Amino acid sequence: MIYPFYFEKDSLLHRLDPRVKIIGTIAGIAAIMLYNDPIFLIPLFFMTLIAMRALGKIEIREGLRLLKPLIPIVIITLIIWPLIYKPRLQGLLFGLSFSMRLLTFALLTFMLLMTTPQRDLILGFVRLGMPYEFGLTISIALRYIPTLYILTSNIMDAQKSRGWEVEKGNFLVRMKRMSAVLIPLLVASLKTAHELSIALESRALGATKKRTFLYDIEMKGRDYAATVVILILFGLALYVRYGLGLGHVSIYS
Amino acid sequence: MIRVKNLWHVYENGKEALRGVDFEMGEEIVALVGQNGSGKTTLAKHLNGLLKPTRGEVVIEGMDTREHTVAELSRVVGYVFQNPEHMFFEEDVFKEVAFGPKNLGLSEEEVEERVWWALKVVHLDGYERRTPYSLSGGEKQRLAIACVLAMKPKYLILDEPTTGLDARSAAGVVETIRELRRDGHGILLITHDMDLVLELAERVLLLHEGRKVFDGSVEEFFSLELHDYGLEKPELLRISEKLGIGFVRSASDVINALAGGSR
Repeated sequence: MIYPFYFEKDSLLHRLDPRVKIIGTIAGIAAIMLYNDPIFLIPLFFMTLIAMRALGKIEIREGLRLLKPLIPIVIITLIIWPLIYKPRLQGLLFGLSFSMRLLTFALLTFMLLMTTPQRDLILGFVRLGMPYEFGLTISIALRYIPTLYILTSNIMDAQKSRGWEVEKGNFLVRMKRMSAVLIPLLVASLKTAHELSIALESRALGATKKRTFLYDIEMKGRDYAATVVILILFGLALYVRYGLGLGHVSIYS
Repeated sequence: MIRVKNLWHVYENGKEALRGVDFEMGEEIVALVGQNGSGKTTLAKHLNGLLKPTRGEVVIEGMDTREHTVAELSRVVGYVFQNPEHMFFEEDVFKEVAFGPKNLGLSEEEVEERVWWALKVVHLDGYERRTPYSLSGGEKQRLAIACVLAMKPKYLILDEPTTGLDARSAAGVVETIRELRRDGHGILLITHDMDLVLELAERVLLLHEGRKVFDGSVEEFFSLELHDYGLEKPELLRISEKLGIGFVRSASDVINALAGGSR
């Protein structure tokens, strides 16, 4: 089913302001994009795992479990690189390091999602300048994923009770059969959306330009300190890459 | 015959929805009642194989539900879901009703015959070219019954068939249920509506926290402390008790008793 990322815990990352974590995640992703050298990318992955444990109290086992869905992409990368690159051993190493880059990318995102409640995350984005309507749209979309899941299984049960079977027949027949689920699902979703829009309007959404928030976030000394640390680390990453010229190997010659 | 023996159902999340339910039913109208989360829907979904027992067994006309698919069982047990709109996807009423029988692999003529028959039973003849979504609430509910009925199941499970309908539409649905009973169908009525139970049921099955706490006649059922199970006694029974005429099934029973008493 739908996996709720956030876990209530007491850690440094959990306590930080969402804006700091968003900036940190973006800086982290930008930093791993700077490098393509396996000597940098592979240790960076493990460092991220350890950072996740140390700063966010997320067990390493838990982090690896979340990466499971990415295994197919990793396998494809590991197979294709040695096929198209010579020498092959070097290709395999590149394949490995680019998989690691992808996994680090995912880990950084999960680190944000697992330590920030959805409400704070969206508030963070809004406070960083995203229009409120966007934030609201995202939170509504996320909120309705489990609802739609339940609705879909309800509709499938109703159609199964009329002798409908998905498993039967070839691809085209199956696609045609899916309409028995997709049409009621579409109608029900549109109705829900319509009702929701009425509910939002009747609660005066968009009545004033400047919104106030009942629950707000606030940058504290710790948050400013963390931002400074993030910026210094990012500056350091830039210096290593461009000042010292390390971490980049030319792949295509 | 529907036979449920020591049925346990534990969901994936570990929730024990049913804890050893025994239940049998034949050609009768049984009301399945209980609070939200008491296991009503879970029990009903076992009867046509949508759910399979964790422990115990469910046997429908000699078929163990674990060994048969929902499609096979749907010939014997029809399940009409609470929200009729969750099943409508065809462009007109006729095609909508034909969907079920077609899935059974029947011949064109047989399908057509069944559709006309089912539409007639629920008094929707003349509606066959209408779009299902354009019907009124009561008509949609009756169409949903027709869709399932056209598969000619012996048993029908109706989930909250009168909820959200106005009095006249509800009466139409009740009338349809009565006619089906007369034609030899067994009907399991999942409901919160105690007035409907009083009016229609022949037997009541009460579930509470996944256990069967009562299985017996309607009269005995209404002598229970219903408050303990989050249910309310119908106003009609309160009035008749105050009047001292005891158990009645409808307002006309009260009038007859009063008229008979004064004579």
